[in-house]
Parts: sequence; structure tokens; C-alpha cells
Amino acid sequence: MSRGLLRDARAALAVLVLLLIVTPAVAEEKSRLDMVLERGKLIVVTMSTAPPFAFNDDKGQLVGFDIDIVRLLATALFKDPGKVEFVVVTAEGRWPAIESGRADMGVGGTTVYPDRAVRVAFTRGFIDSGVSVLVSKKSGIKSIADLNQDKHTIANLNNPQMADRAKRFFPKTKVLTFDTPSGQFLAVRSGRANALQIDTPTADYFASQSKDDFEVLPGLLGASQNNAIYLKPGDFKWWLWLDTAVAELRTGSWYPQYSETYQKWFGKHPPPQKFYLQPQ
Amino acid sequence: MTYLGWVTTYGPTYLDALGWTAVIAVLASVGAIVWGCALLLVRLAGGRWGARAVDAYVQVFRNTPVLLPIYLIYFGFPLVGLPWPAAVCGGLALVLQNGAYVSEILRGSFKAIDRVQFDAAKSIGLSPWSAFRKVVLPQVLVYSIPSLGNQVVLLLKDTSLLSAITVTELTMQAKLLTEQTGAAYEAFAVVAVLYLVLVAGAEALFRAAQRAVRWSR
Repeated sequence: MSRGLLRDARAALAVLVLLLIVTPAVAEEKSRLDMVLERGKLIVVTMSTAPPFAFNDDKGQLVGFDIDIVRLLATALFKDPGKVEFVVVTAEGRWPAIESGRADMGVGGTTVYPDRAVRVAFTRGFIDSGVSVLVSKKSGIKSIADLNQDKHTIANLNNPQMADRAKRFFPKTKVLTFDTPSGQFLAVRSGRANALQIDTPTADYFASQSKDDFEVLPGLLGASQNNAIYLKPGDFKWWLWLDTAVAELRTGSWYPQYSETYQKWFGKHPPPQKFYLQPQ
Repeated sequence: MTYLGWVTTYGPTYLDALGWTAVIAVLASVGAIVWGCALLLVRLAGGRWGARAVDAYVQVFRNTPVLLPIYLIYFGFPLVGLPWPAAVCGGLALVLQNGAYVSEILRGSFKAIDRVQFDAAKSIGLSPWSAFRKVVLPQVLVYSIPSLGNQVVLLLKDTSLLSAITVTELTMQAKLLTEQTGAAYEAFAVVAVLYLVLVAGAEALFRAAQRAVRWSR
């Protein structure tokens, strides 16, 4: 290696190291809640590949249940559902968008896991979720037990929860790991894989969109789960406001708005406002 | 966890991914240079239609992002009964696109060769094929070393796109670790350093090649 090259490499390394040291050191003193109110709009990170939570409709507009929930938050903050700027990222882009402070909060079919909560803070869940298996009808797979054969291949997303579930529920099945849900779907369509695992509402949505090609296997992979708003940890005031807002939507004063949104996207009533109240 | 702690804990998990990136980059680079030479040959010896076909090929691949052929080959080939492994499909896409660029680089160098040499080759009884192989191609390759080096660096960085089709190369490994640990900065900073090392290695190799041919002339 020539001297000049070595010097270039050293300089580049130095810049990288400097970036590493400086980036997280930027302290945040003011609450995000005050920043948001001063700014006059909410900046929200989301995926656009998780129908019916967050996806692009036929016109290319970002829509979905989670998007409407954010619009309700904007209504509560600014009396205007339009005061939101969405930052669209891929699945693994969610955490740095929050950590860097680029966005105030995030939504988009995002499930709470204790190991995730080490890095990001979550509000309480604003909708139930679970993980289901979507299979191609051609495959003839009728149950999760059917799928557990080494002749079958399942398309995963690149999060560790997917890998864990694959090991637990169908250890014999071959696994392909994609970085986007569209990759998973293309894999099943092209015959690279017979099945994919994804959030139950998303699986239901896709199965209803192409009834001839896809089918959702009965049963969940594991427990019923919670999808929630995520934010940077350590900002109590901001977290408290968001969590209170979610609680009011799910069980309190804004339940009617929540119920309306729920019915719009899922065609059925949400879980009752309180367990001891009869659904109306 | 501190940065250093993270790097020492998860750093070793990059080794396999580093291997994949390096192997794919080396094989695809060799493939692209061979394919570029073949395209040049067709352009020179294939008559008017050969030249037009190569032109069309170069236009198509130069004007489309490489992710497109990657997706097309990986998801399209199983539909016609060719379920090749992801790394092969991705490598092939890189060869096809970079081959187009390489053929253009070689064409530029070819123009720098004095036409008199063809007459000289003919006069000592070399067939056109021998003249191409023994006289023209070596010179074209030598003239092209700096540009080829650039192209190989571009190809090396484009291997990151193979993360879209399940290949666990460096970028995919960083994505997996980001999802696993939430430490996006650390995961991608390590990858940046590793790419830097690989690119520095490739550049050093091409500089050495250039020095070697200068020495021999």
C-alpha cells in the first residue's frame, strides 16, 4: 500500500471515529412535547409496507389505521389532522430515526417486545396484533404442522423475533430472510418460498386482496401481541402525553373516534372500551 | 453498552458476511471483465449488427439501476424453472451490468491503439483472432487498469444491494444486527470501516498492477 493511500484511509477512519463520538453526545434537554408544540407539527417515522396499518394506496397516498391514529394525535395537539410530516423508512430504519431525533415518534405495525424496549420506549399498545403464516394456495399447506417439513421454505423479515419463531414453530422449514415485506411477497409469488410470516392484520389484508393466490393458516404463531407508538426513551413528559393519548383512545374520552377509525380499516368493532362495559 | 463493547461483542459476527462480500465482489469483478472483453470482441468483429446489439445492451444496462436486474433475476428465474441461489443471481446481475461498463472502458482504450499495429500483426502472419488476443487485448487491458480499478470499487459497493435478496453480506448483517440490538450507528459504522478496508485493498491491488505493467514496459 502506498503512503498516500494509507494517509487517505487514516483520514477517513478519523472522520468516522469522530462521527461516532459526536453524534450521540448531542444532549436533549427540552421535552419533545414542547418542541412539537412550538414547531406546530408532528414528525412521525413510519413504514409504508404494512397494510392496513400504514401503506400507500392506489394514488400513492400514505394511508392506514396507524396513519389515522397519528392524525387523531395531531387533532389533539393542534386541532388539525393535517399537521403531520411522515418520514417513511424501512423496518430497520425505524430505530435510528428515533434515536437520532429525526422524528418525534413512530408508528407503522410496530410490535412491542421487551428486548426492543431496551432501545426505544413504547406507549401502551393501541391495537392488538399477532403473527400469522400466509401460504401460497399452490403449496397445499393447510396447517403450521404441514409447513414444518424441509421441502418447504418460509420467507422471513430480518428481525430476530421472526428467526426465533421459525426455530420454535417450524424448525425443519428452510428460511429466507428479506429486508422488506415486498421481498417476502415476491418470494412467495415467484415460488422462492411457499409461505411467509407477518403481522396477522397484514396477512389478512393480503389474503383478502388476492384470494386465489394466498391463504392465511389458522392460528397465531405464539401470543396475541401489542402494536404501539415508539419514541426515544428518557423523555418522560413526551412519553406521558403519548401514553395518555393512547389510553384515552383505547378506553376513554376519545373511544368513539378510535372506534370509527377501527371500523374503517378492519370492518368490525374494536375490543370494548372497558371489559365491564357491554359493547354498544 | 459502549461503542467499543458493542464492537467487541458483535464484531466477530461480521466475519461470514465479510467473506460473502469479498467472494462475490472478486468473482463478479472477474466475470464482469471477461464479459466486457467478450462484448468488445462482438463489437469489433461482429459486423454492423453485432455492434448495434452491443450498443443496445450497453444502453439498457447503463440506464437502469442495478437493483432491477438483481430483482428480475432472483425473482424471475424461478418462474422459468431456474431457482438459482440468491448469491449466484445477484452476482450474475452485477456481472451483466458491470460488464456493460467494462466494455465501454475497454472501447475507450481500444481507440488509443495505433491502427498501424493491426497492419503489422497482419504482415507477420497473425490471424485476426490471434492479433486480437496477443496484440490488441493485452494493450487494451493495460490502458484500462485505472478505470477498471474504479469500476471494481463501484461493483464492490453495489454488492450491498444483494441484501435485498437474502444474501447475508455486510449490509444485510448490519441490518440484522440493527434489528437484533437496535444499535444502528454501531452496526453500520462497523460496516463502513469494513467496506473502507475492502476498497483500500482493491485500490492497492490495482495500483500494484499498474506499477507492474509500467515496470515491464
